[in-house]
Amino acid sequence: MDTIISLTTPPDIGYVRVLTTAAEILARSHGLDKREEMRFQLAVEEFFTFLAQVVPEHGPIQTVFTGKTYQVCASIRFQGSDLCLGALDASFSATVDGDVEAARDLRLILTGRMADRFRITRENDNAFILHVEVDKVYPPITAASSTVAPRAPFRAGLELDPDRLMHAAALATARYPAWHCPASFQTPGKFADMVGAGQFSCVLALDAASNPAGLLCWTKSGDRGIAFSGPFVFVPPADTPQVARLLTDAFLATVARENVEIVFSERATPDTPDGYFETLGSLTRHSPSGQDEQPVLYRHLREDMGATVWADPALEGFLRGVYDRLAMCRDVLEAHPPASFERTHSLFSTMIDKDKSLAVLKPLLDGSDVAANLAGHVRVLSDKGFTNILLYMDLSHAWEASLAAPVLAAGFKPRLVLPFAGRSDVALFQYAQAD
Amino acid sequence: MRRLTDLVPPHVLNFESYVPSRPDEILMRQYGVDRLLRLNNNENALGPPPAAREALAAFPPERSAIYPSGDCFSLRQTLGETFGKAPERFLVGNGSCEVITSVIKAFCQRGDSLVTADKTFAVYEWVAAFSGIDARLVPLKDYALDPQAMLDAVTDRTKIVFVCNPNNPTGSWWNKATLERFLEGLAGRAVVVLDEAYREFVESPDFPDGMEVMERHPNVLVFRTFSKMYGLAGLRVGYLCGDLEAVNIVRRTHLVYSVGSLGQLAAKAALEDGGGHVEATRRMVTQAGGYLRNVFDALGFEHISGAGNFIMARVPMPDTLLYRLLMRQGVMIRTMTGFRFPNWIRVTLAREPEMEAFAKALKQTLDKR
Repeated sequence: MDTIISLTTPPDIGYVRVLTTAAEILARSHGLDKREEMRFQLAVEEFFTFLAQVVPEHGPIQTVFTGKTYQVCASIRFQGSDLCLGALDASFSATVDGDVEAARDLRLILTGRMADRFRITRENDNAFILHVEVDKVYPPITAASSTVAPRAPFRAGLELDPDRLMHAAALATARYPAWHCPASFQTPGKFADMVGAGQFSCVLALDAASNPAGLLCWTKSGDRGIAFSGPFVFVPPADTPQVARLLTDAFLATVARENVEIVFSERATPDTPDGYFETLGSLTRHSPSGQDEQPVLYRHLREDMGATVWADPALEGFLRGVYDRLAMCRDVLEAHPPASFERTHSLFSTMIDKDKSLAVLKPLLDGSDVAANLAGHVRVLSDKGFTNILLYMDLSHAWEASLAAPVLAAGFKPRLVLPFAGRSDVALFQYAQAD
Repeated sequence: MRRLTDLVPPHVLNFESYVPSRPDEILMRQYGVDRLLRLNNNENALGPPPAAREALAAFPPERSAIYPSGDCFSLRQTLGETFGKAPERFLVGNGSCEVITSVIKAFCQRGDSLVTADKTFAVYEWVAAFSGIDARLVPLKDYALDPQAMLDAVTDRTKIVFVCNPNNPTGSWWNKATLERFLEGLAGRAVVVLDEAYREFVESPDFPDGMEVMERHPNVLVFRTFSKMYGLAGLRVGYLCGDLEAVNIVRRTHLVYSVGSLGQLAAKAALEDGGGHVEATRRMVTQAGGYLRNVFDALGFEHISGAGNFIMARVPMPDTLLYRLLMRQGVMIRTMTGFRFPNWIRVTLAREPEMEAFAKALKQTLDKR
């Protein structure tokens, strides 16, 4: 069971000791090493101190600590849409030129790197949540022990047994490129803990002797989606289609009546059976060995009831083409950028996955600097070696949809639309690298 | 201040509310079509029987100002005469969904369970879920309810076993011997709901008549509806019948005044109608079933049909995609992913022109892909 501690404090650095104590106790009680415990404490301390300095007039700060079996995290909720929060998103591009503000920003950058992940989400017009996560350290994967080749007949069902899950993750890692696998497959103990904590769900295919024959796992994505990985199949080629279909049927039967609209995958394996999913489009996957196209698969779990989306004129043709090809009924409303922005500084959330050289941007606030801000993100991320830069645009927000022109101008290309991935559909852009 | 969601029980908070399809005029606008062929809800394409039509036409509008009979008094009298039972043994509801809810409320509390199939009418499972009752779902065996597995799933906390006979959506059914063995094996440990929504479509003499079975097994409650064979789906009238003691228990949790006057009048008239409507509907269903089986065979599609005015087919694409593609041609089918049959569709068996229109739209859709 998760441990949850919620603290609401004034934006006063005098309270920082309370927060770091909570962070320390939580990390220790969840078995994190001393180094991770310190990283978590320091990250919480620095982020809270930063916010206490920049939001003193904006009411209390609520910090929710969550301890899971595999991770501790702090979600720091604060008010402040009119603040300059550039340091929270353009954290890669700050430079120190001697002034106090830049030094503070730099400290925040370093703080961000203490955490395994940090990201910012927007709760409503004025409220933001800064999420800081530090993972428990797990032993890395070892080569999967050799097993006898599983033989038909096969069966598939939900799996919770940690040993079986770790074995299956190791088998998947040995057989499939890292791009197809969740990062936690590299540390199978973490993967099993994440399943135990409900972060992942899995169906496992077994033969009559309970040898693992295949694995498919999934996690919730947004309010109405499920993202899946797999199917990973561990049987001889002749039996692969049968096991892949068994896993896919078991997966869909399990989630069919859950509180979600769609399932999708940006990393489905080539063993995905034909006829089960629609292809939304593809993403170009850049890796040290070259580039190739990764199809993005999806299916609805129920009849599409239609939706309303906003579209900037710069994107409208693309969207109408997509909806026509997918036979989706959408009311497309026209979104235009405002004549002038209320804010100077725009804000983007940036999530990165170093193993995949992947960075994902999401707009949080518009502003008159949006074009320059995006260009800055691209420049810094590219310099840092992130060759796969994506941008998600929620088309249920007119202000967000109206950013299409600067997004295109910054070198992003619309690649596909993920139905119901946000409040309605989400347009997915990919930065097109110059060759 | 507490958030509204803090006040909601977890089993309600986590429940996915059902979103019914939109009205025809909206769907037609969305998909750019000027007609819509509804083959998604197993409605009777022939509509209500003549006597029900006359009752509806004769309804004086001023009667709309008067509350209906709160317990469907006259309709229950007719039900009693039709089935040779006391009217008190019938409870009428706003469709069988309301009766399902009443039975679960009457017999179950937190910690209790019910047993049903994993691929059957979804409302049993839904009502259990949002009532905080554990629904134990037993996999079908060869597309049919598995009596032994269902018996094995019964525990000392099981209060109700739902048996959809014939089963929606597979059309499979238990014969007299199978049902009898099941009831003997259960030995009265739980209430058995025999949902016979489609029983009027069955002509086999080996199909068990729940109205007769309940006389030997007082733990059996039978559900029937006027929505399918009798073509009154828009008026929402369903009912249960059982041993008086069991019915009196359900009565405590059953709402009164939930069935409108029009529904009561039309249902009563439908019962009093001759057998012509039933015979005509059966002929239509038989003919349509034969036609669509040929269509699916020609396309190489696996299909399942049994009793009831519907047929299922496995299609070579996501059922939810085929739904959208057919909607663009004004044909509405039911996707089966939600029934845990991914890539299957269910089609209502209707009149010849409707079946031909469906087949034409299906072939055009497949030709384009």
